[in-house]
Amino acid sequence: MRVLTVDDSRTILAMLHHTLSNAGFEVLQAEDGQKGLDVLKTESVDVVITDINMPVMDGIEFIKNVRASGLYNSLPILILTTETSQDKRDQGRSAGGTGWIVKPFDPEKLISVIHRVVH
Amino acid sequence: MSDLDDFKATYFDECSELLLELEEQFAAIEDGDRSSDRLNAVFRAIHSIKGGGGAFGFQSLVGFAHAYETLLDHVRDGRVELSEHTTALCIKSNDIVADFIAAAREGTELAPDYGADEKAQFDALTRGEVPEGEEGGEHIEEFDIDFTPVMVKIADDVEPAPAADGDDSFAAAPLVVEPGHWEIKFTPHSELYARANDPLLLFRELAGLGEIQVRAVFEDVPPLADFEPFGVYCAWEISLQSPTVTEATIAEVFEFVDGNCDLSIAQLTSTPAAAGAAPAKAAEPAEDAEPAPSFADLAASIVPTPRPAPVAAAPKPPALKAVPADDDHGDDRRSGPDDRRNGVQSIRVDLDKIDRVVNMVGELVITQSMLTQQMDEVLRARYQELVRGLEVLAQTTRGLQDSVMAIRAQPVKSVFSRMPRLMRELATKTGKKIKLETIGENTEIDKTIIEQLSDPLTHMIRNSADHGIETPEKRRAAGKNETGTIRLSAEQAGGNILIIVEDDGAGINRDRVLQVARDRMVVGPDQQLTEEQIDQLIFAPGFSTASEVSDISGRGVGMDVVLSNIKKIGGSVHVKSWTGKGTRMTLRLPLTLAVLDVMLVKVAASPYVIPLSSIVETIQCSRANFSRMPTGNQVLQVRGEYVQVVDLASRFRMQTEATDESRFVVLCEAEGGVKVALIVDDIIGQQQVVIKSLEENFQSIDGIAGGTILGDGNVALIVDVQGLKSTIAHKSAA
Repeated sequence: MRVLTVDDSRTILAMLHHTLSNAGFEVLQAEDGQKGLDVLKTESVDVVITDINMPVMDGIEFIKNVRASGLYNSLPILILTTETSQDKRDQGRSAGGTGWIVKPFDPEKLISVIHRVVH
Repeated sequence: MSDLDDFKATYFDECSELLLELEEQFAAIEDGDRSSDRLNAVFRAIHSIKGGGGAFGFQSLVGFAHAYETLLDHVRDGRVELSEHTTALCIKSNDIVADFIAAAREGTELAPDYGADEKAQFDALTRGEVPEGEEGGEHIEEFDIDFTPVMVKIADDVEPAPAADGDDSFAAAPLVVEPGHWEIKFTPHSELYARANDPLLLFRELAGLGEIQVRAVFEDVPPLADFEPFGVYCAWEISLQSPTVTEATIAEVFEFVDGNCDLSIAQLTSTPAAAGAAPAKAAEPAEDAEPAPSFADLAASIVPTPRPAPVAAAPKPPALKAVPADDDHGDDRRSGPDDRRNGVQSIRVDLDKIDRVVNMVGELVITQSMLTQQMDEVLRARYQELVRGLEVLAQTTRGLQDSVMAIRAQPVKSVFSRMPRLMRELATKTGKKIKLETIGENTEIDKTIIEQLSDPLTHMIRNSADHGIETPEKRRAAGKNETGTIRLSAEQAGGNILIIVEDDGAGINRDRVLQVARDRMVVGPDQQLTEEQIDQLIFAPGFSTASEVSDISGRGVGMDVVLSNIKKIGGSVHVKSWTGKGTRMTLRLPLTLAVLDVMLVKVAASPYVIPLSSIVETIQCSRANFSRMPTGNQVLQVRGEYVQVVDLASRFRMQTEATDESRFVVLCEAEGGVKVALIVDDIIGQQQVVIKSLEENFQSIDGIAGGTILGDGNVALIVDVQGLKSTIAHKSAA
């Protein structure tokens, strides 16, 4: 299974990569929404995990763009967030986010959330 | 756990970058730029620091960063105004964040109330503007929770059983809750599918909680004529049997679809007397569950259901799969293309490894030039293929060298960005008003040089702030703007990088400088110096003119240290001053430390090299216009200008048999446009050399900047034009 991880923090990308690849996922990475879109243009993935606060193109715009393309209606997108105030998360969902993961994430929880949204 | 250590190292690296970023952003914010880009960048930096910190359990850091972040969030939303006071608080807090990070890295403990004041101020500011109150002070606990469960709003028509109990007409028959038997009614809205949620996955998860039976409700499916292919018409009723499950657990399954569906979760109730009656709406389906055998098997029942939202259940759209096939390799969808397009734009490499490459490329350059040198005319004529091959080799080597150097190059930004903060401190300490302007911070220069640049630049800026810029009163009296400006700029000029520190202060007080220099015997009592020579005196060892030793520029250890540091990295410093108008200090630095373009010359049978960047022209001695000054010094007249002459052979105390007829003058320009004419015995050619430090291997020699190994294996010394020039200056003054 292939996961695209989109986050501007190298630390988070590295930790996601570690957790996900240990769990047998193939991990693609992008540092902002625009780069995430670029990856999707050439790669097929099973699930996307994206941060909200990013330079260039934030997570909300990224999700909107992914959904607007019409090609990825069934692509699950998980929002990675430390926002405990729910508004960002809700914005992400309104944009088309499938679910969310609260940072810091517990590896097992992360995997189980992915399994919740992927066939 | 070494993985964790790796992540931590990454995190701390990232933090250093983020702290620099904060500094930069706040410097701009202080200058009045409060664009949302800036505020967002600041927010993101703190957000990332907090996010990573949380992953490693740095609670005090996270707690502080969270309060800070909350304030920043309010600021960028406009809920809190970014006043001067708030900006100052933020800048101070950046230091506190840095301290927290440092403590986390070192594994040391800060005082328990460290940063508490600032944190309280954040909370107050945040609360002050938003009376309905954000979370107040207790933020940290939120980060102990991996997943914040969000309660599903239960549809209004399904009230908890006991409440129904009270108002219901069935009150006579007391309802009994059947433990572990749940009824769930689930009606998705179209948004649920639009967000790529899939009922089948929800059922799968419910099936993980206990035994389930799912029944599809088709009542809303319209006649075919009105049927919308993407319409949502289907609902489900699920009965779940599990002795341990709670309502919250079930609600968690539907967490992601909250608001995108009608959902009711109820514990099945039954009256002991009339089990057949339907006691409550929610219980109704339970009665029907049994007689619906076609839905008994989850997989069998769900998949063939004419589900109205085929998009969600469909396998991946073909468009996604079609692309990798473009690569034209049957089965390379595995890792080949992935690695290329992982979205990874950079890798981190140990500097040691790069330095090894740099060194080897240096050696390669030498070997290549050696090969070229050994091609004599006979060989050239005979082996034309070889000649062509060598030309390509030369080009490739050059390209390789440039590329390797580019790896080591970094923008000077990393040094420049530390200066605004220094400036703030200086302004506070001196009570002067100073503005810092930076230009050309994207100019790239070798990493080693950048690392060596911080101290000299700090000294120079301190010097400008302390001695250059006047007090606001004095400036006003001189008819200047109260606020002094220090401009820090970087630019590439040929094979050099120029870093210029300029101020619009009073300029160097030459009378004082000369007086002090005489007092300290740096300059003899009868020596006459030009204005420029006086200016350069500030770089003399142990020289300080500040009437009182301040804790800013220190005890005059500043500028001579600047000079020696800069010399060490192959650069030079020049100062130019305009009385009452300001001072400009120029650092001229090599683009890279490793390789130098030189002219190879011969002095008394020994090879010497002169940096090409300092050579203006070469003239045959026989055609040069020499004359003697009354002092006996020889000068060269070039286009109406008199230039000091240095005969390298006699300067380096060597015997030469060459006559003036065959010798050459190499006209060089030292720092500050001062020319010097070097007389050499012969000019051999141009080439690139790898600089080897004399100090490291031997000792520093006046007039020699270093050594190098030539293509034929001989050692050549690199002439230090700047050094020769200053010895002339001293001599001529003597």
